[in-house]
Amino acid sequence: MAAPSGPRPGWSRRAQYGLFFSFIAAIIGLAIGLILLAFSIAAPERFHSLRGAALDATAPVSDALHEVTATVSGVASGAGNYWDAARQNGNLKRENAALRQQITEARAIMLDNRELRQTLHLREETPKTVAVGRIVSSSFESPRRFAILSAGSNDGVQEGMPVRSAKGLIGRVLDVGAFASRILLVSDRSSTVPARLLVSGQAVLCQGRGDGTVEVRPLEVGRNPFHPGDAIVTSGVGGLYPPLVPLARVIRLSNDGAIAIPIADLGATTVGIVEQPYEPEASAAAPVTSTQEATQ
Amino acid sequence: MARAALQPKKRIGEGPVPGANMVPAATVIAAIFVSALPIVVQDGWFPDLGFLMLVAWRLRRSDVWPAWWAAPLGLLNDAVTGLPLGLSVTVWTFAMLVLDFADRRTIWRDYWIEWVLAALLIVMDLAAQWQVAAWTGAKLAFITAVPNILISAASFPLLAWLIASIDRWRFSRR
Repeated sequence: MAAPSGPRPGWSRRAQYGLFFSFIAAIIGLAIGLILLAFSIAAPERFHSLRGAALDATAPVSDALHEVTATVSGVASGAGNYWDAARQNGNLKRENAALRQQITEARAIMLDNRELRQTLHLREETPKTVAVGRIVSSSFESPRRFAILSAGSNDGVQEGMPVRSAKGLIGRVLDVGAFASRILLVSDRSSTVPARLLVSGQAVLCQGRGDGTVEVRPLEVGRNPFHPGDAIVTSGVGGLYPPLVPLARVIRLSNDGAIAIPIADLGATTVGIVEQPYEPEASAAAPVTSTQEATQ
Repeated sequence: MARAALQPKKRIGEGPVPGANMVPAATVIAAIFVSALPIVVQDGWFPDLGFLMLVAWRLRRSDVWPAWWAAPLGLLNDAVTGLPLGLSVTVWTFAMLVLDFADRRTIWRDYWIEWVLAALLIVMDLAAQWQVAAWTGAKLAFITAVPNILISAASFPLLAWLIASIDRWRFSRR
């Protein structure tokens, strides 16, 4: 096949001029794009209002269709639960009995803990819920890991607030629209969460890998402290994320750390809870970076 | 009459779809809004549909839109998908200029060459996304962008087929 005659309009002077101006306009568009790109890399906060407007424009679509996908996937997984139901029932009963016992022990520990705290006059920090929304969409076309939450500035959401689900930490708010917001997930590469190992309390740093997993590294140099299956919780250092929120579970070891998957599985999570920054003054004064973490 | 013979034999009510000139841009906008669908996943391997659609249209016809239309379409893509503003504006407009150039330079073009051209543009698009992500604090190994490149390049023929069907439909005499 011959190539399309392309931008050669023939002898018409008018068409030639039209083509030329279109070419000039494209060059101008390219220049504007480069300028915009330079601004969004150097000063991303400049475009927050535009980003917020775009969020508001697309959120109703995501929100309305979300019901459909949730119903379909619910029916599919619900049907799966009937398979082998008798054995599952037996297992669940055994687990339930074990958990009941553990809950009683945990309640006793909590009571003990509260009394000890009172004797020490420790200030009790209770994270305050700002808004509750549904996770309606995610950036499935992009190397970055974002999700859209159906709660925005009308509900009191502000940039930088931590977002969690009932199971664990999801991320923090990046852009805010009037009734939707974009969340930077913990699995994004630019997200770094100060954390610690639940078993030993050792301080670790948790950075996303962009593919749904996170990388955890110990802050102190030494033996690799991780084992597959270890739970990692937030440490509250840095003041943004509240402490002791479940974060990730180690699946395999790497050279100097481990690979973990976030405990709050986005595919199964529908509700996101936006909270106040744990200590707003601290997080405003010192953004969480790996170097500052290392020196604490 | 000789002049009457030159008149198109158009019957009343017959002709291209109303607004046929706008159909390509409309399909690109529809593809951009695919990213607003409520798909919640941990991994971003899905092709950049808006860009694939844009390239597929431009490879099929050189006159679907003036080249500068790619800039506003790219701005919409940036705003909807959450990419840094200006990234798609730049990449999409640049792709249009590259394809104008390719039209001048290629004399014979078969399907394989179109696929290779599209694949090169996809590599450029995803490499730009990867580089800008690295500049904005999300530096990953380039190997993480490769699956998306392969999936996008492999899905291009499907898009080209879809575009061909839409193109036939919009100019069909009905």
